[in-house]
Amino acid sequence: MKIAVVQFPGSNCEYETLVAAKNVGMEGEIFRWNKPPEELSYFDGFFLPGGFSYQDRVRAGAIAAKEPVIKTLIEEAENGKPIIGICNGFQILIESGLLPGTGRVDMALAQNVMVSRGKIVRRGYYCDWINLRHDSSSKRCSGSFIIDRGIQLQMPIAHGEGNLVTSTPGLLERLNEENQIVFRYCDAQGKDFNEFPVNVNGSTESIAGICNPEGNILGMMPHPERAFFSWQLPPGDTSKYIGESGPGRLIFESMKRYIEVRA
Amino acid sequence: MRIYIRVWLKIPDAEAATVKNTLTRRLGFQNQISDVKKERLYIIEVDSGDPAELAKNFAKELVNENKESYRSSFEDLSFEDGYVPIKVNLHIEDGEAISTQNRLHNRLGYRNIRDVKRATIWKLYIKDDNQEEIAKQITESLLINPHKDSYEILSM
Repeated sequence: MKIAVVQFPGSNCEYETLVAAKNVGMEGEIFRWNKPPEELSYFDGFFLPGGFSYQDRVRAGAIAAKEPVIKTLIEEAENGKPIIGICNGFQILIESGLLPGTGRVDMALAQNVMVSRGKIVRRGYYCDWINLRHDSSSKRCSGSFIIDRGIQLQMPIAHGEGNLVTSTPGLLERLNEENQIVFRYCDAQGKDFNEFPVNVNGSTESIAGICNPEGNILGMMPHPERAFFSWQLPPGDTSKYIGESGPGRLIFESMKRYIEVRA
Repeated sequence: MRIYIRVWLKIPDAEAATVKNTLTRRLGFQNQISDVKKERLYIIEVDSGDPAELAKNFAKELVNENKESYRSSFEDLSFEDGYVPIKVNLHIEDGEAISTQNRLHNRLGYRNIRDVKRATIWKLYIKDDNQEEIAKQITESLLINPHKDSYEILSM
């Protein structure tokens, strides 16, 4: 089982992502954006890591989404191979139309707007530890294949454009009905609160991650590779995570299990 | 009264260069496009004062003259010949424009400011006769995400 972590100019989480993937037992390598794209067919799954591809020029993910390597990833995804886009990777998946999976650009990850008590209190880049709730069923999606519905995960975010918006009529209803909203920001008790600091970037319905209708593609703003080992977690009660594992490990374990089951 | 301030880089604009590369190398516009440039546009509504003096004062806050140049105009926004100007702005709330307005109005004391809007002007140097159609294709394929941005082709 071999995965590729696709690196663009400006990616900055590719090495951590590869370490995490290898740690759960997958083989893998960093795949530069300008390598022959057809070589992607040798891999069983793909990560689009976080960072600032092309310095977020025009808008985050817009330039990387036009690269030939993305066209090939679309073909590989059509064959059922899993793709997980983290942060900037999620932005690239949205800009390429791979998510929400209609084949069109049906959403945008706009600039963060933090609202509290009805007022804008912050804007722009923000990094913090947040709580996530898994709102889909297990086995619905490659990146949360082994995670039960309702499970809470603590992970860091670090982005300026994570505010998921859409002007496509009926799209959010459809995503809810089809179980495509995989992760939502929540408070420490797992409850919704659609304001900052729980909804950390103003995202519609506190959405932090979505999958495509087939479930093989997941995009998420939080960084599981930065919460992979328990020593990466902020000070506090980490006893609920067994041994040296952090909650981010579940995302990588999920990808591995998804590939095993699909085989 | 409306004050327009157009700001552009004196140093090479890497973002405009990347857009040109993407259009010509990735999106098939190599025979239609000869160059791409970019400006930042502020549209500032004021209800009193000398517009020329105000524009100069606003520019001190909004323009870094070590790397940027600017031009101001009042009431009318016009562009030079030779390119198609596309104005792209957010149709969702523009936090930077609000911050700019707050900074000028609240912190710097320009109480005569009523509104500040911000946009990007993409200057497309198009070789094709069908300039409007090419400009529309380029804008919709790369320069905007319709779920947050809107655009206007300003003059032909």
